[in-house]
Amino acid sequence: MMEFLDQLWSFSLDRETVYGLFQQSLVFVIGMTAVLASLGVVLCASPIYSALYLIGNMVCLALLFLLFNAEFLAVVQVVVYAGAVMILFLFIIALLGSKEEKRDLSFQNFMGLSFVGTLFCELLLAMTVGETQPVEGGVTPEVLAELGSAKAIGIELFSHHIVPFELASLLLLVAAVGIISLAKFTYKPLRKRTRT
Amino acid sequence: MIDDILNFLDPYWWLIIGVVKAVVIAVGLLTVVSPLVWLERRLMGRFQVRRGPNRVGPFGLIQPFVDVVKLLFKENIVQKSADKFLFYLAPAIVVFTAIVTFSAIPFGEPIEIGGQTVGLWGANLNIGLLFIFAVSSMGIYGIVIAGFSSNNKYSLMGGLRSSAQMISYELTLGLTALCVVIMSGSLNLYEIVKSQSAIPNAIPLFPAFVLFFIAGVAETNRAPFDLPEAEQELVAGFFTEYSGMKFALFFLGEYVNMITMSALVTILFLGGWNSYIGLDIPILIFAFKVFLLLCVFIWLRSTFPRIRYDRLMTFGWKFLLPASLVIMLFYSAVKVYSVTA
Repeated sequence: MMEFLDQLWSFSLDRETVYGLFQQSLVFVIGMTAVLASLGVVLCASPIYSALYLIGNMVCLALLFLLFNAEFLAVVQVVVYAGAVMILFLFIIALLGSKEEKRDLSFQNFMGLSFVGTLFCELLLAMTVGETQPVEGGVTPEVLAELGSAKAIGIELFSHHIVPFELASLLLLVAAVGIISLAKFTYKPLRKRTRT
Repeated sequence: MIDDILNFLDPYWWLIIGVVKAVVIAVGLLTVVSPLVWLERRLMGRFQVRRGPNRVGPFGLIQPFVDVVKLLFKENIVQKSADKFLFYLAPAIVVFTAIVTFSAIPFGEPIEIGGQTVGLWGANLNIGLLFIFAVSSMGIYGIVIAGFSSNNKYSLMGGLRSSAQMISYELTLGLTALCVVIMSGSLNLYEIVKSQSAIPNAIPLFPAFVLFFIAGVAETNRAPFDLPEAEQELVAGFFTEYSGMKFALFFLGEYVNMITMSALVTILFLGGWNSYIGLDIPILIFAFKVFLLLCVFIWLRSTFPRIRYDRLMTFGWKFLLPASLVIMLFYSAVKVYSVTA
């Protein structure tokens, strides 16, 4: 017993190494799950399962954000996409009823598959060619740890990027107004409607 | 021998503390639910001038445990037309999100145990408030999926109603909680409680407090906002087809959500574990405040009739949302004024 413990001890598994190993394996597992879930979105026959796979994918992305210390982004991802947007998707699917798609390998499907295969191979090729550049910014991990990610993003958005940020919010407002004016139906009182 | 193991474990205390905390929170929540059911039935009895459960054990105290045994041994019916996987998944999502939501709630100052500082919370997150909203919004999926997978019109209507209702009232909930965030300047629930050491937020932020509580009742699907499970119209709404322990899991989720909502109101508006009268028993004070709020939940249920569905939506979108927006703008203005002046 003693020897075994001593052996374990000699590995000197300090906190950082354990964290590092654990985090790397987590990133790998979650990343793979995200890829599988997104495959499920396109390959699944029933729309409701597709939507659920998409939710799974979004949750995985949020977890990845969390692992890279972007906790604010992770939570916003869940609140906005998984919590609000996807629930509306599910709403529509449940209301319209979901029929399973028939699977038959026609010529179009074959062409589509071959295109996808080609694109995938190109993607693999692109991966081997060059490496991506790291993003440069004023916010270092030390600053982030001191401020917290919510505050850091707020400061960044409202000081350096205030104009694009406000423009984007204006765009969203215009879109919301547009949707209401498009979806607005001419309202007739009930009595008149029954007569015509 | 034991010393060796303790020596070996010494650098890993943080891990052990985390595991113990997780177990304590999960088990504690699940045990609190059955007394809460008893309390609700007992209080409802008093409110409706009848006795409530009083046969099993003294004051009917054993009743909830007997109910649990009954539910465990009931036949588990899954109808043929149901989508099996989703049918099983739905109650799991509801309970999982309910418990995870509670894990971000602090209920006391950090204490010292054997030289280790142990915070009385599952996780003290910098974005605790947002985390709670994020996870609890995932709980809606459980209800929608339950309604969809049952392959039953009543269930589907219940699920859809509930998702629409929860989305609508979540906005109010978020905006009124934002008032607290603006005033205290932090999303961290522990910091929010700290900022109320002099006076609870409910007094300066009274309108936000009222709106938050109303939206909170709607968010937990409690009467008078229990449209998703309106017995008279929808049989039992989204869990019509569920039986036995799976039915009980929805019940469990609802009560855990109720506890979480009460705890959240306590933290955001009632000053958390600050007693304000010089008592130094933080956990008990916190529990007492949560208990009072739970009683208010039950009181509301037995006092108000269920409101009509279109009125519910009108109330949410045309009154609560604009009102909370105005309140938020007002408190932002106050904050800006107090910072610049």
